[in-house]
Amino acid sequence: MTSDSRTARVAVVTGAAGWLGQNLVRALAGHRERVRCLVHDAEQAPLLEIVAPSIETVVGDVRDPATVDRLFDAIGPAAVFNAAGVIHPGGRTRELFDVNVGGAQLVLDRARRTGVTRFVHVSSNSPFGANATPNQRFTEDSPYNPYLAYGESKMEAEQLVQRSYDRGDLATVIIRAPWFYGPFQPERQTRFFSAVRRGMFPIPGAGTNCRSLAYTGNLVHGLLCAEVADGAAGGAYWVADAEPYELREVIQGVRVALEAEGLPVSQRQPHLPALAGTVAAALDRVLQDRGLYVQGLHVLGELKDTIACDISRARADLGYEPATGLVDGMRASVRWCLERGARI
Amino acid sequence: MGRSILVTGGSGYFGEILAGDAVANGDRVRIFDINPPAATAPGVEYVHGDVRDRDAVRAACDGVDVVLHNVAQVPLARDRELFRSVNVVGTANLLVAARDAGVSKVVHTSSSAVFGIPESNPVTEETPCRPLEAYGRAKLEAEVLCREAVASGLDVTVIRPRTILGHGRLGIFGVLFEFVADGAPVYVLGPGDNRYQFVHTADLADACLRAAGREGPSVYNIGTTEFGTMRDTLQALVDHAGTGSEVRSLPVAPAAAAMRVLATVGMAPFAPYHWLLYGRSLWFDVTRARTELGWEPTRSNASMIIESYDWFLAHRDEVESSPRSHHQSAVRPGLLRILKRLR
Repeated sequence: MTSDSRTARVAVVTGAAGWLGQNLVRALAGHRERVRCLVHDAEQAPLLEIVAPSIETVVGDVRDPATVDRLFDAIGPAAVFNAAGVIHPGGRTRELFDVNVGGAQLVLDRARRTGVTRFVHVSSNSPFGANATPNQRFTEDSPYNPYLAYGESKMEAEQLVQRSYDRGDLATVIIRAPWFYGPFQPERQTRFFSAVRRGMFPIPGAGTNCRSLAYTGNLVHGLLCAEVADGAAGGAYWVADAEPYELREVIQGVRVALEAEGLPVSQRQPHLPALAGTVAAALDRVLQDRGLYVQGLHVLGELKDTIACDISRARADLGYEPATGLVDGMRASVRWCLERGARI
Repeated sequence: MGRSILVTGGSGYFGEILAGDAVANGDRVRIFDINPPAATAPGVEYVHGDVRDRDAVRAACDGVDVVLHNVAQVPLARDRELFRSVNVVGTANLLVAARDAGVSKVVHTSSSAVFGIPESNPVTEETPCRPLEAYGRAKLEAEVLCREAVASGLDVTVIRPRTILGHGRLGIFGVLFEFVADGAPVYVLGPGDNRYQFVHTADLADACLRAAGREGPSVYNIGTTEFGTMRDTLQALVDHAGTGSEVRSLPVAPAAAAMRVLATVGMAPFAPYHWLLYGRSLWFDVTRARTELGWEPTRSNASMIIESYDWFLAHRDEVESSPRSHHQSAVRPGLLRILKRLR
């Protein structure tokens, strides 16, 4: 792990109890004097603090200015990793903007006033929608084309971060991560594993559409590179596994990983007509226009698309090199579940 | 000069006996529990608190050399949220507080429920954990936290006891003892030929105190070495009781289904742990505890169930009144009273 002279001795992590945050905090814990973590629920605090004495927690909501004040209280020079965000809101899309945009604004503002050395912001593929053709890859030059409310919220957050850099407030780096996988996964990912294991996860169409995925370990490496890379400030980078996978390859990778970890797997692969994805996406759009969010529709609507990126620039500018591939990463995820007794 | 020992859950069934044995060893004991202990022995300090309250846990760890962590919601609680907040988050609270307070050793009482139904027996410390119900999963998560605490510099040893018996042990056994005492039949699931191992409270307390004195993190499976099948154990009990009670078999699948239904509607004192595991073989190889701790179990399955029963007989009138923890209280048999009349 990088801990050269350029890394800040203090790190601030928002979204620290989330999927990515848990992985990032563990990577930082042994290498920094202090890791100040924002967690949403009081119960998450001891579960993070147990990791190392360097970890400090602040409990509260990133939308609350007083909470964000406490997060930066007497922190001194630090690197900030802004990983707080809502992907699947509970019923209404408003939360996406409140947290992903409003929260980012608060964190940027407090970071500016604290003397932050670098501000690494976690973004998404969603501000860019889907690739126009199956062979196209998103690059850092691709234009914004946000997909529904989540995509719009993440785009607006990117724009806030970029403006903060343009004004000379902060040395920012935006990291765009696609669909990720890895330890500390939420229950929805465990349900995904279960569905694949039981042969009940449907692929819309042939499943030959490409998706970029990011193993959490790779992504953490990318974030740490972004903290120290010379000349990266003001930039935005795609960070993912080395190459995109076809959707059917992803499903097969999960199967192989489950079997390798000793779990028998059904070889059944149900297919949905490609139209199902299109209908789901259309319904999702109608509902989101009315501020409503239904997770299942949203996921199914996106499953048919090619959402793939080219990581060349992160390799060149950040020194990013993804070390883990699909099966190894999925195996680590399955082991993480089994170690905690999760039912897959 | 004895050690300063914090016994969390020190007012519970096992914690109270453990605290007493620590005092007898010459240790200074502080009990941290949401309920006061039944009687505070000389040399025992009681600190009232909830393990979910970080500040209270922190205060309790102040000035302590060793923590024996026994707070848990037991299977009978049947409350997934309590399993999480008490058994998982509560353990994290304790471990963080112990590390920050410079505690030199934590002994965490886990459970054999972390194993679920093992593919083969005996179960060693290396057998993969595959818990089957919410209680076992929460206890396994707490063990994961113990490993994380070890990685962050705290010396934590995990003790996994088999089902605990001894004087004063009631809970689900209260129902069994009531049946036996009144000459009603008692039941095993299927033929009852599953090998089922118990552990005596005193032997378990001895293992915990020995683990507390051994430097370096470890894990120990703890159970008696003299045990047979579930039917053997119950037969020894009814033979001893001489009340005319006899051991009968219930068909496994319908009985488990009935236990589930009765428990779900709150008409019988069962948790998933009971119907999943009561009819299965689960026994530990205790070699590691014997070699590393010099620990030797002193009671057999038969002797401890008889001891527990005799205690029940002697205290039957009291136990029905006083409010105590799950394992110290007689649970309400509910509809099981119907079974009792099937003589």
